[in-house]
Amino acid sequence: MTVEQSARPHSERLTRERERSWGSFSISIAIAALVIWSWMASDIDLDKLAASGGRIGDFLSRMIPPDLSVLPVVIEASAETLRIAVLGTVGCIFFSIILGLLAAGTLTPRFVNIPVTWLLATIRGIPLILVAMLMVGAVGLGPLPGILAIAFHATGMLAKFYAEAIEGIDPSPVEALESTGATFLQRMRYGVWPQIAPDIVRDTLFRFEMNLRESLILGVVGAGGIGFYIQTYVRAFQYEKVATLTIVVVIFVILIELGNNLIRRFLR
Amino acid sequence: MATSAVLLENLTHHYPGEIHPVLAIDALEIEEGSSVALIGASGAGKSTLLRLLDGRLRGWRGQATVLTHALSPSTAPPRIWRSETGYVFQEFALIESASVKQNVLNGRLGRTHAGLSLIGRFSIADETAAEAAMRDVGITELADRRADRLSGGQRQRVAIARVLAQEPRLILADEPVSNLDPKNSEVILALLRECAAKRGATLILTSHQPRLVAPFVDRFIALDSGKVMFDGVTEDVDEAVLASIYSKASRENHNEAAE
Repeated sequence: MTVEQSARPHSERLTRERERSWGSFSISIAIAALVIWSWMASDIDLDKLAASGGRIGDFLSRMIPPDLSVLPVVIEASAETLRIAVLGTVGCIFFSIILGLLAAGTLTPRFVNIPVTWLLATIRGIPLILVAMLMVGAVGLGPLPGILAIAFHATGMLAKFYAEAIEGIDPSPVEALESTGATFLQRMRYGVWPQIAPDIVRDTLFRFEMNLRESLILGVVGAGGIGFYIQTYVRAFQYEKVATLTIVVVIFVILIELGNNLIRRFLR
Repeated sequence: MATSAVLLENLTHHYPGEIHPVLAIDALEIEEGSSVALIGASGAGKSTLLRLLDGRLRGWRGQATVLTHALSPSTAPPRIWRSETGYVFQEFALIESASVKQNVLNGRLGRTHAGLSLIGRFSIADETAAEAAMRDVGITELADRRADRLSGGQRQRVAIARVLAQEPRLILADEPVSNLDPKNSEVILALLRECAAKRGATLILTSHQPRLVAPFVDRFIALDSGKVMFDGVTEDVDEAVLASIYSKASRENHNEAAE
């Protein structure tokens, strides 16, 4: 290799390093500015926080002992939240299969997968609580708007995950099946599905856990489940009931996570 | 007189934007039941020709008849023709997470009931063919093992069993042993030859190692820039012939040939 050839990459590397250090400097300044602006503009008074120490203590003490008389109501409402999360997840799986296939760059032409990818990004950008409020307006109070809101909102993420799983497959075994005379559906069933199944199951369980957590709040806007009681008890300052509710929700979320972990271990 | 497994006439193929054809074969006939090695430098057109014979290449010109079926350059061959032609891939192309048995059964997809197979149902005939194929290549005891738990030699056996389960009349093998060590290579080549002979199937394989494959084929066809530059029985392939094949190729494509 001649001196001339090796010298050029060296100077290019220097330039790149210089650009990179300027870049990281600018990013640091921008982040610092954002933090300072957030602090100043929020008008946070630390003295106020220190002075309210006693009030927070009083507030916590009023949660004890938890009022267990509301246990049946809270458990039933948690069960409704679980049902909303389950049916919402079923709905988002359905939409994600369709949109995930359309968004996969290896399956569809660019004029299909690019708009679908944008659509999914837009869906992800709309907060769940906003979707839920619109659904309550559209179909009335109860679990149904909650289910629809979860199904819609979660599709934005799950369809993207499905598309990525499909894009990540090794095409050669699918080609091998094509060579044996397998039909399109047979290639999907025996060539594509076995390759994506572990990812699909993992992503779906992950999204189900997220759906469960997010659906806790749906009742606040009248879309069913435990959220209704969260709002009611907190507004009425019934903190011993809030305590019962918090305990139930925490146990309930942990149980679901344990169940999911068992499924994952079984599938590995 | 034996019928021909492959009959090519005035065959040409260009990759988009390329001036020189990747294939330019005036006439080539391969008899049914024979076993042939396609040799030549990288980029000589060997793999392209195999894909054409397997019905997976589009846009070529000329006439190509495989197992008496005239292939179309614009449409995929019907399912039943495809199942008659088996293809062994260099990289094995197995479903890694599936069992050996399932990978072999996948070879039946072109012959089994297309609808029932979608719910995991295979016929007795499919099971029998898969078991016979696994027995022939000596992997019966690995039937329940996952493909990603196998060695290279075992994987290629599974890939061959998948092709045998197809009950093919023509076996195309693209660099079947280039990922294997020399000992495994000879075993796999012997297996391919033996299984093809047992079923009366024609075997066409490509290779970069003519000396390695010579004991297992009757005929050598050398391609150079898509043209047939040598065609003769294995006995005629001596060092001088090989030297001329590879020196000409290396002179002309010395950039591409370096692998």
